[in-house]
Amino acid sequence: MTRNKLYSLLLIACLAGFIYLFYNICTLQSQTFRVCIIKNVTGYACPSCGTTRAVTLLLDGKITESLLLNPFGIVVAIAMTIFPFWVLIDIILKKESFFRMYKKAETIIRKPWLASILILLALLNWIWNIYKHL
Amino acid sequence: MDAQKVDMFMMTNAKYFEGHHLNAIREKLLSLDESKWGLVQTMQFKEPTTSLIVSLLGGQLGIDRFMIGDTGMGVGKLLTCGGLGIWAIIDWFLIMGATREKNMETFQNAFY
Repeated sequence: MTRNKLYSLLLIACLAGFIYLFYNICTLQSQTFRVCIIKNVTGYACPSCGTTRAVTLLLDGKITESLLLNPFGIVVAIAMTIFPFWVLIDIILKKESFFRMYKKAETIIRKPWLASILILLALLNWIWNIYKHL
Repeated sequence: MDAQKVDMFMMTNAKYFEGHHLNAIREKLLSLDESKWGLVQTMQFKEPTTSLIVSLLGGQLGIDRFMIGDTGMGVGKLLTCGGLGIWAIIDWFLIMGATREKNMETFQNAFY
């Protein structure tokens, strides 16, 4: 993974995310179109089902409701606001501070004890999602 | 290193690398000292086919990316439901190449 590849991938992903969010806000009441394959195939929610709804709730200022719907929403919202700016500043100033942070974060997350805690949290969130019938 | 040993390594391990890597690997191995043969023989590479199977089954949750060591992208895939389902499908086609690139990284970390 090189710096430029990571940056272009992140910018494309964030742009796609913003377009999808905008589309979702514009057609808020007609929730007929779903993208999640797991949900469409099995009928059960996946760990990140409801993230879009959580982010839209966050945009309305309802932080508690957003947390109760899916805590992933806040993580995604923070990433989507901070990462594009950081990447753009890096590109303009021709630095690679974000790339170095990404590499460091990868090695930290890969530590067994931290990885198992995070996996457990994701699994618990999944169980909660299924329980909530998202 | 002995050309015969290098050819043996290339024959058994060619499937783990991209075609354009093979020449560089061969030349690197030929230039290595004979004492490195033990290390070369015990190197472990990830099977591209296995990661493809994992990608087909658990790509939505980013498990394929976690498995090959792309932790950051795995987290991204998990949080966004496989990149809204699109990234998961794209990765069915990219994951084998990504695994081979990771294997090349392992090789480079050991010998360069």
